[in-house]
Parts: sequence; structure tokens; C-alpha cells
Amino acid sequence: MARARLSSSFHWMAAPAVIFAAGMIVFPFGYAIWLSLSDVALGADPRFIGLGNFARLLADEEFWNGLRLTLFLYVVSLSLQLVLGTWLGLLLARSRSAQGLVRTIMVSPFMLPPVVVGMMAIVILDPSFGIANWLLEQAGLPPGLWLSDPDTVMLTIAALDTWQWTPFVALIVMGGYLSLPQDVFEAAEIDGANGWWRFRRVTLPLLAPTLITAAVLRSVDILRFFDIIYLTTQGGPGTASTTLNILAYRRGFEFFDLGYASAIMVTLSAIVFGSVLVFTRLRRAVTW
Amino acid sequence: MVMRRLLRLADRIQLLIVLVILVLPIAWTFLSAFKPRTEVAAFPPRLFFTPTLENFVELFGRNDFLHNTLNSLIVACGSTLLGLALGAPATFAISWHRMSWPATATLFARMAPGTLFLLPWLLMFSAAGLVGSHLVLILTHAVITLPVVIWVLLPYFDGVPRELVESAQIDGARQDQILTRVVFPVVMPGIVVASILSFVFSWNYFLFALVLSGIETKTAIVASFNFIGEGVTNWGALMAAAVVIALPPLILTLLIQRRLVGGLAAGAVKG
Repeated sequence: MARARLSSSFHWMAAPAVIFAAGMIVFPFGYAIWLSLSDVALGADPRFIGLGNFARLLADEEFWNGLRLTLFLYVVSLSLQLVLGTWLGLLLARSRSAQGLVRTIMVSPFMLPPVVVGMMAIVILDPSFGIANWLLEQAGLPPGLWLSDPDTVMLTIAALDTWQWTPFVALIVMGGYLSLPQDVFEAAEIDGANGWWRFRRVTLPLLAPTLITAAVLRSVDILRFFDIIYLTTQGGPGTASTTLNILAYRRGFEFFDLGYASAIMVTLSAIVFGSVLVFTRLRRAVTW
Repeated sequence: MVMRRLLRLADRIQLLIVLVILVLPIAWTFLSAFKPRTEVAAFPPRLFFTPTLENFVELFGRNDFLHNTLNSLIVACGSTLLGLALGAPATFAISWHRMSWPATATLFARMAPGTLFLLPWLLMFSAAGLVGSHLVLILTHAVITLPVVIWVLLPYFDGVPRELVESAQIDGARQDQILTRVVFPVVMPGIVVASILSFVFSWNYFLFALVLSGIETKTAIVASFNFIGEGVTNWGALMAAAVVIALPPLILTLLIQRRLVGGLAAGAVKG
């Protein structure tokens, strides 16, 4: 009797979550793929057109512009956050100071809703009354147009995301560093290795898996970056910040070009999954 | 020795600079919210002013922001509870049977761009007549909270001794009793972390409510987005709104700081 109960299964406890996921994630995902293969006009029956939307994509100047901007944001933001995050994380680990108020300050930016970061940016970076330009003026530097200039808008957006998420990367790096066997670093120091050599040949290889974890987390968020752009510029000026996600949103929800918008979204998803896959492979290669 | 002390000083200075860069924009926003309306957009910026609550009075009095904030609360609490109700038992089953595919599947949901699901949802929920309801926002935000719950809880459930469950089985406890009376008390700290993170993720989320909320169910975040679009922006009220929206996540995460980064990074390590 007891035996029978012991072998009993708890699988049914996952059933509600599985049903929910099937209805809210799997089915819509399939639906989105089907939409991307269809010509959908509001009020008319969708018509299957195969890869027609994707063919349109390849001929669309705005798609290539969006892809370029998405990759630009991705490369700039991710490199900035990894480099600054590693520097800051090691700094925190060395001074063992990520406690109390310091930690509160470190976690605050990435706990803020991105929309609030956008609202802050609108006021602080306003070309006419923002405090950023006032500070530049005091320092004798020329003022910037920030989000209003097609040439600087993407860099500004990358800077905003970097401000928000570098502390997160830093805390991950700090955690990774402190969990390493510290005698390795002591040994390297005793051997007389200089700082840069130690960093390149000892610290960095040991930290590589941690850094890749951080890179995966940030890749996913940066590639589908939406909130701050939509709030501050809505893709402008012109199309200077219309990344793929913004483009997909505008085509889908402002122009109701459902099939085409879905094709953009499916493409973007493929890019996200592809980058995660690459990093997962990479992690296997650098794990020691 | 002198060298060492100099290096330590250099570290302190670098850290101080970073902290100032992180704090200043937040402090400036909070400060601006308490400025008289006309001084928020003054140039040169005013550091000294008579603090006033008029921006908040404007925000809650003339606009329907209290209603929007309540909507945000309903959606964040609802989706957190739904995420827990679905996720906690599921995580127990996943952990007990050492299943690996559900975790990967939820990770997929966490990685996909929200816009991908949004069009199908809009079509599905329009057909069901649910667009604009709290229910649709709770359901869609649960897609955010469920993966958080599962990934945060999994290590906690993995830490529950199997003997604890087996002896309860021998004592003749029903399966649901085992979960609620034996396992849940042990993983309570994890449930607290999962609840807080879920609440914050749902509270902070913009995109789904942007499309799927109605006039009556607009969340605080969507409402403040609409302020910006209204042509002549009331900067004071906008800063006040930023403060109201920013406070819950900032306060809540104070409670779980120590586990915060681990919770956010959960899942990425194995995936």
C-alpha cells in the first residue's frame, strides 16, 4: 500500500502550467508564424502566400535600416556593458563594498521600469532646458541634441541602457569572481605577474563563463529593446531609431499590416534565439 | 605599502564616481517632482526651490492617475498570484521528477520578443471580447511572471529533502497536502523572492498593456506614456508620475537585495 503511494507521480501538478503555456505561448507562437506566411488585411480572410512577406522584407529599405540599427545597438550596448561591468565588478570585489547603501544604489537603476528611465531621459536630456546640457555648458563643452539628432539618437539610447544595466553585469561579475578559488590570484601575484597580464591570462579566462551568462541575459533584452525607444522617440527622428522591434510594432499596431509585421517579428525572434545559441556554444567552449 | 594604499584610494575614487553617475539622474527626477510647476523646465536648472506637492495634486486630482495606479496594482498582484498558482506546483513536479523540458520551454517564453505574441493575442482576445479587461492583462502578464516563478523556485524545490516528502506519503498525506503543508513551508523564502520579482516585472512591463488595455484598465505606465503624447507636456506631473511608478519596485527590491541578482540571472546558467 505504502509502496503504491510512494511510486505515485506528481506530474499532474504541472498540468495547469502546461495548459496555460500551450494556450498563451505555444499556440500564439504558431499563430504568429502562420500570420507571417499569410496576407492578412483587416476584415478579409487571411490568404496563405508562403514566403511572400519575407520576400517583401528583403526588398524593404526600412527593414534593412531596422536591422542595421538593431545590430548597432546590440554591439555598442553589449560591449559597453560587458567592459564597464567587468571593470566595475572587479572594483566591487576588490573593495568588498557591495553592501548596504552601495548595493542599494547599484540595484536601483535596473529595478526601475525602463519607461521611467525614458521619462528621466526626456527631462534630463532635453536640448533646451535639460540639466545635461547645462552641465556640459559649465564644463565649457558644446551642448548635445541627444535624442533629437539622427546622428546621436542611437548612441544616446545605448548609453541609457548601459546606465541602467551595467550595475547588473557588475554584480554578476563580482559574484562570479568571489566564487573563484582566490589562491589562484595570490599565486599569480607571488609569481610576480603584472596587473594586466594577470587580468588577461588568469582573471578573464576564469571569469569567461560568468561573462557569457551576463552576455546571454543582456543579448535577449537588448535585441528586443522597446520601451525606452518607443517612449522617447517612437523610432524617430525620421526612422533614425526604428529598430526591428519598433518597426514590427508600428507595422503591426499602427498600420495593421499583420502578416508583414509578423514576418519582421519572426525574423527578430530568430536573431534572438540564434545569438543565445551562439553564446551557449561559446560557454561550452570556455568552461573549465 | 604606500603603493597599496594609493591603489585602494584610486579604487574608492572610481567607485564614488560610478555611484554619483548612478544616483544623480534618479535624484534629479525625484527632486524635480517636488518643484513648483514652472521651475521643472527652468533654465538654468534650479537646485534650490521651495518644495511643493502641487505636481502630485495635479497628477492625482486632474488626471485619473489614482485609477491607473490601482489598475497597475490589480494587474501586478493578479499576474503574480496566477504565476505562483500555476508555477509553484509545476516547479515541484519539475523538480521531483527531474524534468528538463519545461524549464527550457519557459526560457523560450522569456527570450521571445513580446511583440511576437502580441498580434496573435490581440486577434485571439478581440474574438473573445476580452480586450480592455483586467483579465487579459493579468493573463498576458502571467506569461512574464510564470517563467520568473519557475526559475527562481527551482533551486529551492531542489533543496527539499526527498525523505521529507516520502515520509509524508507514508503517513498517508494527500498529494496536495504534501505540497501545501510539507513542501511550501520549506521553500517559503523562495516564494517570497519569486513573488517580489514577479510583481516588479509585471509592474514594470509596458508593451502588453500599451496594446491590450482599455480606457478603464490603463496602467500607470501606459497613462504616463500618454501624457508625453499630449502635445504640451506637463513636466512636473510627468516627474511626479515617474516617482509614483518608480517607488514600488525600488522599495520592494530593498527586501530581497541579497537574492536579487541570482533571481534575475536564474535560468541563464543552465539554459
